[in-house]
Amino acid sequence: MNMQAFFVRESWRAFRTHRGLALTAIFSMMAALSLCGTFLLLSYNVHRTLVAIGDRREMVVYLKDEAGNAAVKELQDKIQQYYGTSTFVSRAEAWTEFSQQVGDPELLSAVETNPLPASLRVKLRPELQNFASMDTCARQLEQFSEVEAVRFGAEWVRRLDLVNENAWRMTVGAGILVALAIVFVLYTTLRLSVLVRRPQIEIMNRLGASDRFVAAPFVLEAVVQSLIAAVLALALVFGLSQILAQRLESVTFLPLAWSFAFVGGAVLLAWIASSVAITRILRAVGP
Amino acid sequence: MIAFEHVTKRYGGRLALDDVSWRMDEGECVVVLGHSAAGKTTLLRLITHETQPTSGTVAVGTFRGGRLGRGHRALLRRTIGVVYEDFRLLSDRSVFENVAIALRIAGHYSDSEIVPPTMRALEEVGLTDQQTALPSELSFGERQRCAIARAIVNRPAVLLADEPTGALEARSAGEVLELLRRIHREGSALLVGTTRPEVAEALGGRRLLLEEGRLRESASDAAFMPSGTTDRPPGRSGEAE
Repeated sequence: MNMQAFFVRESWRAFRTHRGLALTAIFSMMAALSLCGTFLLLSYNVHRTLVAIGDRREMVVYLKDEAGNAAVKELQDKIQQYYGTSTFVSRAEAWTEFSQQVGDPELLSAVETNPLPASLRVKLRPELQNFASMDTCARQLEQFSEVEAVRFGAEWVRRLDLVNENAWRMTVGAGILVALAIVFVLYTTLRLSVLVRRPQIEIMNRLGASDRFVAAPFVLEAVVQSLIAAVLALALVFGLSQILAQRLESVTFLPLAWSFAFVGGAVLLAWIASSVAITRILRAVGP
Repeated sequence: MIAFEHVTKRYGGRLALDDVSWRMDEGECVVVLGHSAAGKTTLLRLITHETQPTSGTVAVGTFRGGRLGRGHRALLRRTIGVVYEDFRLLSDRSVFENVAIALRIAGHYSDSEIVPPTMRALEEVGLTDQQTALPSELSFGERQRCAIARAIVNRPAVLLADEPTGALEARSAGEVLELLRRIHREGSALLVGTTRPEVAEALGGRRLLLEEGRLRESASDAAFMPSGTTDRPPGRSGEAE
């Protein structure tokens, strides 16, 4: 048996000997991680919804009637170069769209000639999809001689930005609180596990065990416990997402990368928390 | 091997050791006699670096004076065998594992490195048949013999014993003392701290008398002997195992 195998066996021994404590630790961590997972699920779905809404943002560049095809093409090239992709909508297409939206032929027949201008619908690059950038883009595009006017629903964009910003702040704030709570629960749970075995630690210390010899099995045990707790918590969150999805179709479970990050984060936190806990105990048992 | 030079140890205002100087050579047997709280345990704790002297120098083998780092302290403890009055066995491990742990701590992990020396140590203390038992299934005397097996399994140059018969009834105490005597005869240095002159009597060797933190060589323990204890066996008479 090599050293690693010995540490694994020691962890398993500790798990078996203190089965009740180990299960309590797993369930405590699972409860805390479920809370964290639920928060992640909500954040992810809110983020997805906001991105979906944000994706609908577009800018409409109305063209002067006298703008020729060549000039419009040149303008499209410049838009492509600096702002994003554009789609030309001719006067006839605009009228067709308008007709479909209004739907009432009598009302439409009252309009003798097509008053709608040709336009370019601009899908801005992601980094320009905020009020300040859109406003700047609009002002710049208005300078082109072929452009009559630029509209992008300034007030709507401003409000959406505000919602986005508040959602982000709340996510970060709540995320920090949840992370601190998780760290506290993990640390306290693992510290309790270590404290229960303080007499053993003290004996090993007196026998000349190195800090690594004493700490490795505890840290390994904590890592395995947190791994089990994180997987169970993820399963609970998956169940919750399925229940929510029955009521709200748009709700989806966390992507695979997020799930792996969640489990990895929990294991990393457990590793750090148990290392700190065992180090403090080792210092406390004396020289 | 072990040398104290003008060692004083204070716990707050209380003086535990007062300017103590002595030395112990390889293979020697030394019994430190003293009343309860005379400073015997402090003396042993100074050797294992569980505590530091307030002033003076403690040298153990090549480890000399000053505050050792955690790594060096661990290394020092691996070179010394220690037997405590309260055994200090790991309750969740068998007798075999309690002895083997000292070898594992010293960096031995393979069965070929663990099994033969562990079995040899168990044989020396007469616990081969009890190797799978848990400490809670042993009598006090057997627990102390298990602790001794753990202390000697790494073949330390010196064995420290702090009141090794303190928790034992007369017969078990006698067995433990006989065992310590044998270990000493086989070459290990032995340093025993005890309140009982009869333990010193049974072990032989050099006697040091520790009184109110001061150490002196003693040819006889008559001066130390508390009244009415001369006929006591080397253990707690009548104590149940």
